[in-house]
Amino acid sequence: MSLAPLQADPVLLPETIARALFGGGDLAIWQEALAAFLGAFVVGNIMLAMTGVAGPWAKRKITAAFTDRIAVNRVGPAGLLIIVADAVRLLGKELIIPEGADRPAYDLAPLVVASSALLGFAVIPMGQIFGVNLMLADPEIGLAFVFAAASIATLGLAMAGYASNNKYSLMGGLRAIAQNIAYEIPLILTAASVVLFTDTLQMSGIVAAQQEPLFTVAGITIPSWFAFVNPFAFVLFVVANLAEVGRNPFDVPEAPTEIIAGYQTEYSSVYFVLFYLGEFLHIFLGGAIIATVFLGGPAGPFLPESLNFVWFVIKIWAVFLFTQWARSAVPRVRIDQLIEIGWKGMLVMSLANLVLTAVIVGVML
Amino acid sequence: MIGVLKSMATTLKHALDGSTFTVEYPDVAPEVSPRFRGVHKFSQERCIWCRQCENVCPNDTIQIVQDDQRNGEQYNLHIGQCVYCRLCEEVCPVDAILLTENFEFTADTKDEFIYNKEQLKNVPWYKDIDPLESREPDRGAWIGEGEGEVDYQ
Amino acid sequence: MFLNIGPHHPATHGVLHLKTVLDGEQVADVEPDIGYLHRCEEQMCQNNNYRHQIMPYPDRWDYTANLPNEWAYARVAEDLNDIEVPEYAQILRTMSVEFARIMGHMLAVGTFALDVYGDFTATFMYAIRDRELVQNILEDLTGQRMMFNYFRLGGVVWDLPEPREEFFEKVRDFIDDLPEALEEYHDLITTNEIFQKRTIGTGVIDAETAKQYGCTGPVARASGIDYDLRRDDPYGYYDELDWDVVTEDGCDNFARLLVRMREVEESAKLISQCVDLLEDWPEDERDIQSNVPRTLKPDADTEVYRAVEGAKGELGIYVRSDGTDKPARFKIRSPCFNNLHSLEAMAQGEYVPDLIAALGSLDVILGEVDR
Repeated sequence: MSLAPLQADPVLLPETIARALFGGGDLAIWQEALAAFLGAFVVGNIMLAMTGVAGPWAKRKITAAFTDRIAVNRVGPAGLLIIVADAVRLLGKELIIPEGADRPAYDLAPLVVASSALLGFAVIPMGQIFGVNLMLADPEIGLAFVFAAASIATLGLAMAGYASNNKYSLMGGLRAIAQNIAYEIPLILTAASVVLFTDTLQMSGIVAAQQEPLFTVAGITIPSWFAFVNPFAFVLFVVANLAEVGRNPFDVPEAPTEIIAGYQTEYSSVYFVLFYLGEFLHIFLGGAIIATVFLGGPAGPFLPESLNFVWFVIKIWAVFLFTQWARSAVPRVRIDQLIEIGWKGMLVMSLANLVLTAVIVGVML
Repeated sequence: MIGVLKSMATTLKHALDGSTFTVEYPDVAPEVSPRFRGVHKFSQERCIWCRQCENVCPNDTIQIVQDDQRNGEQYNLHIGQCVYCRLCEEVCPVDAILLTENFEFTADTKDEFIYNKEQLKNVPWYKDIDPLESREPDRGAWIGEGEGEVDYQ
Repeated sequence: MFLNIGPHHPATHGVLHLKTVLDGEQVADVEPDIGYLHRCEEQMCQNNNYRHQIMPYPDRWDYTANLPNEWAYARVAEDLNDIEVPEYAQILRTMSVEFARIMGHMLAVGTFALDVYGDFTATFMYAIRDRELVQNILEDLTGQRMMFNYFRLGGVVWDLPEPREEFFEKVRDFIDDLPEALEEYHDLITTNEIFQKRTIGTGVIDAETAKQYGCTGPVARASGIDYDLRRDDPYGYYDELDWDVVTEDGCDNFARLLVRMREVEESAKLISQCVDLLEDWPEDERDIQSNVPRTLKPDADTEVYRAVEGAKGELGIYVRSDGTDKPARFKIRSPCFNNLHSLEAMAQGEYVPDLIAALGSLDVILGEVDR
């Protein structure tokens, strides 16, 4: 399999904005900065809107579907306005800061959690909407950057756990660190096996490498998405990603029935909202990484290329659905079992996967 | 792994068949069985002020005040404290007090739940069901049958 | 590290305070601190008369499976006053109590799943749904969904609701659908490898220790103690019916769950036999209550202890009379109280999640622990 030819460099979002605002040609540094800022603002808002829907509304609807209930349906059409009600409710609550909380750390933790996830979206190729390419930056080290940004959240969780002056929070924070270290490595190793195919860490390159048809069955062309090329890596990645975002069966850092939501125990009002948003942003970032690395990014049938952002959204929502589905049916593992699965199972399997892929790539290409 | 997939398949089956078990409460009222014990209804016309209900009540929910001629003056019932054991209805020889199927009642403060005889009389029937009809068969255990047709007004 | 688990903790199923000493995340010592739901139930029973007033209260002890509690009181009061219970009423009692047992076990399975899975698990909702079906049947029969107050001294308060055929049909539908529902639970929880990993071999209590702690009911039977009052001290109609005592040898959380789920099957077996009997019962022999005097005054200084098999274990009541119409001493031997204290032995050296799981598998109802 040869590398797919790179498409003509897509125009990134800040550049599109800059052209629209200031025309072409050379731009002063402040103009570029303003355009970049506006671009980040747009992307950030898209993601926040998505989590805003996912948090209060979709989660309820999905959980209700799995448990034979009705869920929100009174406030607005299909209960959609519950989002507004929830926002008012959460923001209107008193911000209670426990006595003995370690102040700067306590205040910064939710910010770190929420912003780290948003940061990761900067390099995700989200496809085009009406011809506008929704991608903020496309550095050479895109994939590494995403993982780096996503794992900053662990720092936030540890800060929250430590600064809350609560034993449950402390346990949650410690669990979060242990879990993230154990699962970050398999996650990156699995992603590395994809990089072996693509020869690049650049996100647009990874997406471009998945555009070729893999084979054709009964008139349906299967694209060479890495989920089809290397399903084993895909499964490993999805499982490790569940642990990375802290969802069932790996929600031990929260574990409401054991350590009462762990690091979140002492947070209320705005800070809680930030945690909540951060959590969902994280799920979506995980979904975005899966979509980019394994599911061909924004590519998809039926829609013109200028609208393939829709496919991207569908893909990350599919990952979100999957996390909620797993949540409804899979029990939480114990912390020692989690670490055991991480170090003894996932790490070994991801290494094996990496070596095997390297051999195959080396022999075949 | 098979077991995990099996449990995930089970929940997915429930998600996809689209059936729900819960109901939208005020719009869709739940089925209430005819024997259901709800808020009391009291008829002063029927009451003979024998005070049996007051005696039998396990937690002093019913309070009856009589004058020195033993004529009834007040009949107070603390609906918020009642345990809905239906013993008052069972002992009543004239079916003056009975428990309707009505389970909806609200108040702002606790003391509003102390119903006097006027309020007890105005407790609505639930969906116009007369509870006595469905509960009749067991009454012979303590006392004779009631006198049939009930007219509370 | 000393950790207060509760009194307000999502996994304590009420208000229970576990004084836990942790070594890392392993439990070095745990001591249940009870009494937050103390409602003077014994004192209240001492202040009410035997004939009518005590009967509503047993419903409030173990509020997930209420009817066995009523039977405990009915049995002790009937033996104290030599009251005969008609056979027809005994069948009604047996049937309704088995329904209540299913109710209790469904909730136990659901909440145990909740403790192991985390919030928003589907198992809990499915268990509640099946429990709801039982509640609908019991509502038709007793007139209430939770605080039934169905038993009376010398019988029960109501015969089956008319039309009887409709009721039988409803019960049979439920019994017929039950294996399918239980199969679903097995798919969801017991065959799930992660669940097995979590529960097998955790919260272990061997038979000898369980006996020393006075464990009864599913907790004891999961440790291989073959003890069930329905068979060993027969009351009601149990000795006439065909059923088995369920035991498991696992001694762990998983075994306790399995015992509950298999007991639901046994209860269903008992119910269907009762329904057959009730259906064929001659119409003119349907006595639901025997003739009981309006005031009961047992002889002074009579002592009686009688126990029944509640959903959680041996539920016994000790009554001493003083010649009045109220008991002089009313003591409840609650199974949850003894079962709860075996947590100490179970959780020793386990991780916090297993402590929670063990607590869930004990299925303590704080209303019965504190009374």
